[in-house]
This record gives sequence, structure tokens and C-alpha cells, in this order.
Amino acid sequence: VLALALGAGRSARSALGPRYGGELRIALAEAATSVEPSMPRGTADRILAGLVHETLLGVDDDGRPRPALVQSWASAADGREWTLRLAPATFHDGAPVGSADAVRGLRRFLRSESAAAAHLARVLEGGDEYRRRSSEALAGLTTLDDARLVLRFRVSTAVPLAALASPAAAIVSGRGAGAGPFVPTTPPSGRGLRATAFGRHVRGRPFLDVVRLIVGPADRGARSDGADADVTSTAPPLPPATGLLLLLLDPAAPPLASGRARALIAASVDRAQLARHFLPGGEPAEALLAPTLLPPLPPPSAPSPRATASPASVAGRVVLRVASDVPQSASQRVVAHLTALGLEVQAIPAPAAAVAAGQPRLLVWYPEVAEAGLALEELAALAGWPAPVRTALEAADAVRDFDRRRAELQRIEETLRGTHVLVPLARLPLPLGGRSGVHALRVTASGALVVENAWVEP
Amino acid sequence: VSRLSEGRRGQGLRGRLLAAFVLVAVPPLLLFAVFVIALVSDRLERAARQRLGQGLDGVRARVGRLQREADAAVAAIVRDKVSATPISDDNARNAAAELGASHGLPLLEIVDGSGRVLSSRHWPAGVGLPEGDHEVAGTSDLRWETIAEDYGAAERLAVVATHRGTWSGVPVVVRGGFPLDAEVLGELSDLMGAEVALRDRARGRWVARADSPLAKAGAFDPSKGDGTVDIAGTVYRWAAAPLGASLWEVVAVPHTLLAEVTGGVRWLTLGVAALALLAALATALVLSGRIAGPVRELAARARGVGAGDLEHTAVEASDEVGELARAFASMTHELRTSRERLVQAERVAAWREMARRLAHELKNPIFPIQLSIETLRRALDQSAAQDAERFQSLFRESSDTILDELRSLRAIVEEFSQFARMPPPRLAPTDLRELVERVLALYRARAATVRIETGLAEGLPPVPADRDLLARALGNLVANALEAMPDGGTLSVKTRAVAEGVALEVSDTGPGLTEEQRTRLFTPYYTTKKGGTGLGLAIVQGIVSDHGGRIQVESAPGAGTTFTLVLPSAMGNGHVEPGGAA
Repeated sequence: VLALALGAGRSARSALGPRYGGELRIALAEAATSVEPSMPRGTADRILAGLVHETLLGVDDDGRPRPALVQSWASAADGREWTLRLAPATFHDGAPVGSADAVRGLRRFLRSESAAAAHLARVLEGGDEYRRRSSEALAGLTTLDDARLVLRFRVSTAVPLAALASPAAAIVSGRGAGAGPFVPTTPPSGRGLRATAFGRHVRGRPFLDVVRLIVGPADRGARSDGADADVTSTAPPLPPATGLLLLLLDPAAPPLASGRARALIAASVDRAQLARHFLPGGEPAEALLAPTLLPPLPPPSAPSPRATASPASVAGRVVLRVASDVPQSASQRVVAHLTALGLEVQAIPAPAAAVAAGQPRLLVWYPEVAEAGLALEELAALAGWPAPVRTALEAADAVRDFDRRRAELQRIEETLRGTHVLVPLARLPLPLGGRSGVHALRVTASGALVVENAWVEP
Repeated sequence: VSRLSEGRRGQGLRGRLLAAFVLVAVPPLLLFAVFVIALVSDRLERAARQRLGQGLDGVRARVGRLQREADAAVAAIVRDKVSATPISDDNARNAAAELGASHGLPLLEIVDGSGRVLSSRHWPAGVGLPEGDHEVAGTSDLRWETIAEDYGAAERLAVVATHRGTWSGVPVVVRGGFPLDAEVLGELSDLMGAEVALRDRARGRWVARADSPLAKAGAFDPSKGDGTVDIAGTVYRWAAAPLGASLWEVVAVPHTLLAEVTGGVRWLTLGVAALALLAALATALVLSGRIAGPVRELAARARGVGAGDLEHTAVEASDEVGELARAFASMTHELRTSRERLVQAERVAAWREMARRLAHELKNPIFPIQLSIETLRRALDQSAAQDAERFQSLFRESSDTILDELRSLRAIVEEFSQFARMPPPRLAPTDLRELVERVLALYRARAATVRIETGLAEGLPPVPADRDLLARALGNLVANALEAMPDGGTLSVKTRAVAEGVALEVSDTGPGLTEEQRTRLFTPYYTTKKGGTGLGLAIVQGIVSDHGGRIQVESAPGAGTTFTLVLPSAMGNGHVEPGGAA
């Protein structure tokens, strides 16, 4: 009876709906590297970017832009000129968000390591020269007044504004203050960070009063004062499974230089077993992009290399760098598959963000921007830009018809996957989950934990 | 030179005594050192071999115990558990972990007949995949097991037991055991105080704790059984025994420890031997000093006796050398007594000779005086009978005789007086050439029948001499030469430079001297001349001796006589007046 009463009470509290106040403690295995707008280097960076910073635009599940600091937009010149109107927003330091701040932020973004920035520079007038630092002029980016800015493109593209949703394109004030839903009250350190709700956020004050990032052992999530964290890696992970467990093979060095060897490797991993037994909450992945971003083509009728090659074996030695956010059990399983294939594999841990071309790696990949074309560009860059893929991507970018473009992207994805340089293995959720009583936590397709609308029961 | 050679002889005796001591002491000491070093080295070698053997036994014992435990546990699992557990996808995955935990087996794997892993505690990632293990050649109990580690897997050596069974009717192989890894070998190493490792020759791999020096020994062949190996500058002594066809257990201890102990003993032994040698040398020095010292002192005393020193002849010694010293002292005492008696006898003889000479010299003038006076008295008694003229004549003759003899007496007295009162020379640089010319000038008139020749060397340095005394000595020699040639002859005076200074030769062509005459020539009051006092040559010898020189004579009957005065050219101890003799 007591349990029922308590359960009923809890149900009654959650049924009351969101409430303001409270503190959300998020336990993280590693600290954020920087509070500056930049390409996120890991889970902590993605969470911090979502807390502190705001971008001009976001993207919805179909990759279409949605308002953020920009409240409306309009196109002209057959889609080659876009005028963006800023919402009446304020930075954490009290300064109003103006078009000059937006231009300054975008100019910094264009020279960042972001794949989305590379895409934007390629299509923006003067963007390539500016990105290569051969010119400081940027004809494609101007302001009309304090609230409006204009982007001019060389060609008309299907998703001209999606790149502005990159976390690296966040806008900060002249003094470096962000415009996100929470204001950091302590500088980021190895022990974590504390942030308070920003009352003048562009979408209104968040429900939570305080968000605290606590750095500690991943399997504990306990603070030094004994209070348990609200969001930990030990709780059931939050759906959806947006991360891609990706095996990156080096086509330039033996034994992976052989396309057959890479195909055998790609076919050797039992993805269903991997996802079911070694990745809690995970799903087998046959395609590079999540179905929500780009539905895969129907399975090919041709037999797989596993079926044709008998006996299937690949000899040689491979040093596999495994990103620290890859679950150890999943990595051990992948290594077991490779070993069963005949390879001698040495798995060594590597930082999550240290992705370098020419090194076999096992990593968890999240798209920088949840838009299929940009995501494929990002993957193509990881794979070393296979020639047919680059051409096809540029061609697809010019297709403004949604269905035609999707079909093009599906073929590009299949082509890119067919090189077997990028081997998708499984989809896995962000390894964080909230305790009971924590509501409205959301994970984006880019792997960011959104706490803007979260609330906790008292 | 003589003294130096005597000293060397003394040192030679001592050196020979020392050498004898060393020859007697060193060989036993060296033998002792070699024996001790060999003994200690042998004992340490045995201890090292025993330690290595114990290490090998310890590894075998540990492996055997692990094998028995693994065998019992796996047999129990096969008998009681596996067959009773239904196979399903989920329980298959967890079965090995649960069974391994309940039976204390860190390694447990169930594989089907084709070698596919059905369940694994130590390699859960391999479920459904063929097992990737490798059996160590020559043994079924030792295997390289694939074990999950960090983000991948690693091969680890393990002691396993394998049993066949069925799992829900499916034939399976259950293999379980314990890792024979760095941790176990580290424990054994700590327990035995030696480095314990395993070497798989076929795979060229070491199993050892991370900091084990053996793991750094690259090309290593344990099949020799034992030996030494240099690893990073440190030499290890090792022993090995096979655990399988390709697996060897290797136990090693730093050889430097053995070498250090052996070296320490070697140095200690050599140090003791060196100290003993030094002690023997010191003893030899003392003993040889006590033996050779009195001998050297006795030799010095003998040289002193030879030089005329007959005093202080006592030498302190207690043994045979002391007996010799006492005999030598007695001999010296007797010699001293004899010399005193001889001197006394010589003195008496000299006095007698002088008395005889005095009596003889005085008797000769006294007798004429007596005769003259007796003649005068007789003449006085007969004066009455004789005439006065004859008396006067007789008186005059007698008185003349008396006066002559009195003069002769005065000359004799004067000469004795001069000999007794020989003054010390007053040395001054003297030109011998000028001196010889001056002296010869005095005698040329008296040498009417004698031809005088001179051979005076040019450029002779002045000699330190008392000009008057030396002129007197030269005058005596010249007078003697002239008197030796009453019938004529040749007097030769020469000067020449010799090693000691300047030589002055006075030669005559007279009758020469007999041997007896020559030996007594410088004896006072000895003379071969009628009316001579025998003091002339004694005076010459005294003058020459006072000048630090020497006189020698060469003569033979019928061959003339040559006197050679050798005078030193450097100033001696005599009194010197720069302005010349007074």
C-alpha cells in the first residue's frame, strides 16, 4: 500500500508538468576542453556547447532550418541571396545580439575545422579565398542593419543555411559571452562546471535553475559531497541511438590497402550480435547515416563477400586506435572479429576527438549538423574524399528538389560505403541517462544532450 | 770510494736479507690468497646454482599445483554443472562467467566440437567466434589464451585443464585454468629473490613481469641450460629447464652480486696478504737491521782502527755478531796497548839515540878541548925549563883548538835548538820558480865541481807556502846533494805539475843509498855523513808535512838519489798571509 501510495505520489508529481527550479547534475567521464565556440571534441564539449551557446539557426529532423537567434529569413536571386533577420536577443553579458556579432561569428566559423564551415565557404561568395586566408574580404556576408544580415551564394543550393546550425557557428559577444540557455558561473576545469539559467534566453528562461557538470569516473557519477548525479552513464541511455560506431580503415597501407580485405572486414562483423550483446540500447548499422537522416536503399541482391569468399581470411598486423567513448566490450568484440579473420590486431586507446587520416580507428561518430548532405560531406572528408563521392556531393548540393536530392544522397552513401574505408557497425545512444524524476531530457541527432527544456521533480 | 763501496756492501747484505724474507713470505701468502679466493668463489657458485635450481623447482611446483587445481575444477564443472545447464543464447553467454566464478577459475571457456566459443569468462567478446588460442608445443596444459584486455585482447600464457563433456546433448570442450602471467611470475620472483620468467622459443616471446630484465634479453636461447647473459650492462647468471617442447622456465640472478662478493673476498684476501707482506717486510727490515747494523758498525770501527783510531771500539750486539764485536774490541784493545808500548819503546829508543848522538857529538869536541888544556897545563909546568916563546906558541895552538871546538859545540847546540823550535809555516802564494832560482844562487859558488841543471816548468800556479821554510828545506836538499858529490857530478832541480799540485825534484848523481839507508833516511839524528847531525832531512820532512805535502825518495846504490817534494796547489789549513811570508 505504501509503495502504491508513493508511486501514486510520484505519478501525481510528474503529471503536474514542468516546473521551474532545481539543479541538474550531469556526471561526465571527461571534462570539456573549451568554452569557446568550436567543433565539439566529445560528449562534454557537445553538452557544454548546447548549454552556453546559441547558433543563428537550428535544423529539424528533415534537415530544414528552424529559428534560433535568427527569427526569419527570405531568399532572392533564385535562391542565391538570403536575408536573415535576428530575433531580439541578448548575450550573457547584457549586450544585444546584433548583425555585426553574427558576421563576426560567421567569419570565425568559416576558418574553423568544421566540415560544415568548409561546405559554407565553398558555396559562399568569396568564401574559399577567405577560408584559405588568401583574402580578408568576404563579399558573400554583409549586414543591412543591426538586425539583418545577407548571405550571397555563388550557386543556388538545396540547403544553403543548414551549415549555420553547426555548434562551431555559435555567436558570441565582443567580450566572448554566449547567448545560450545557461550562463557559466565558473570557468570549465578538470572538475567540471556550474551554469545558471539565463532569463533572457531567446527562447525564454529554461526550467532548471542550475546545471552542474561533474567530472568523475564514468561508472559512478557520484560527487565528492556524496550527492548522486541526476544524469549518469549508469542509467538507461537516452534514445535515440544517434551515434555511429564506425570502423575507419586506412586504404593507403597494407593489409587494408586491398579493397577485398576491407570488404571482408566490413562483412566479418556480426552487427546484430554486436549491437545486441555488446552495446546496450544499440542497433545494428548497415548504412552510414541514421534512417532518420537518410533512409537507406533496399539491400543489394548481390551476395556479400562473406558468402563468396571461402575461406575468408586477411593476414597482417593492424594497430587500431580506439576512441575513449567507444564501449570497451564493443571494441573487444570488433577486435575479436578482426582476429578471427586472421588479422593480428593491437588495440590502443586514443582521445575521442583525435581523428587523424591514415590511421585505422574505431570511433563513435555524430554528425556535426543533422543534415544528410552535410553529414555525408563530413564522412567523405573522414574517408579522404574519394573522387566520385566529391563530384557527386557537389552535384547533389545543386539539386533543390527534396526527393531527387535524397535519392542522389542515397546513392552517394552507398558509393561511399562501398569503398569500405568507412565501415558502419552499429548505432548507439549517448551513454547518458537520467534518473527517475528527471524529465524532458533530449538528445539531438548530433549527439548533444539538450537540457533547455528539462525539469526535475522536487 | 772505499767508504761508498763499504756502504753498498752493507746495503747489499741488508737487501739480500730482505729479499730472502720476501721470497720466504710471498709464496705462502699468494698461495693463501689464491686458495681463499678459489674456495669462496666455489662456495658462491654453488650457492648461486642452488638458488637457480630452487627457482626452477619453485616454478615447476607452482605450475603443477595450478594444473591440479584447474583439472579438479574443470572436471567438477563437466561432471556436475555443464550437462545440467540448458543451452540458450543468453545463458550460454553468461555460463562460463558464472561457472568460473563459482569454481575459482579466472579462465573458463566452453567451445563446441568445431572450436567455436560458446561461452567464455576471459574472452566474452569471442562468443560465437572460433577460439584463437595456441597450444604450447609439447604440452597440453600450457596454452596461449586469448584474454580480453582494455579495448582489444591479448595472448596470455595459461595453465589449463581440458575436459570433454556434453551441454544439453551437444558435445563440448570445457577448458579452464589460471593465467601464468607476469603477476604470478612476479610473485615467484619476489618469493625466490630471483628473476623468474618463461620463454616460448617457438613464438620468440617472454612471459615476465614488466620490469623484469629478462624480458629485455632479445635473442636468448635457453636450451643451453645455464649461462650468463648481459642485459643492459648487467650480467645475469641464469638457469633454464623445459616446461614443454618450446616453453622454458628461466631463472636468473644478477651475476654482479656474485662478482661483487667474489671481488670483495678477493680484495679482502689480497689486502690481508698485503698487510701480512708488509708486516713480514717490516720484520725483515728490523731483523736485517739488527743483523747488518752491528756488522756495518764493526766494519766502520775496523776502518777507524785502520786509520789509527783505536778508541771506542765497543759494538752493541748480543748474538754471534756480538761475539765477533767483542773479539774485535779485545783485539783493538790489545792493538792499542801494543801501540802504546811501541810508542813508549820508540820514545825510549829515540832518547837513547839522541843521548848517543849527543854524547857522540859532544864527545868529539870535548876530547880536543881536554887534550889542549892538558897540553897547556903541562906546558905551564914545564915553562921554567922551556922558553917562553915555545909556551906562547903552544898556548896559541891550544887555545885555537879550544875555540874551534867550542864553536863546533855551539853549532851543534844551535842546530838542536832549531829542530826543537820549528815554527809553524805562514803560507802565502809562492812562485816556486823564483824560490828555486834564489836558493840555487846561494849554492852555485860552492858547487865548483858540480854542474847544476834546472828544469822549471812554465806557467805553474803559485803554491801556498812559507817562503823561508821552503827555501830552507830546498837548501838542505841541495846541500845534501852537493855533499854527496864531492868529486863532481850533476845537480838537477826540476818542477812539474802533478794531480795533487806541484812537484819539486832535486836529483844528484852521487853514490846513492842502500835500502837500509833509504828506510832510515828521515829518522832524526840518523846520518851517513861525517859530522852530520842527522836532523837535516827530518827538518825537510817536517816542513813539507807542515805544508800539507809529502816527500819521497828514489835511490839505489850507484844510481844517485832523487828527492821529490809534492806540494798542494790549493790553500791548506796553514796560516796564510796574502802579502807573503813574514
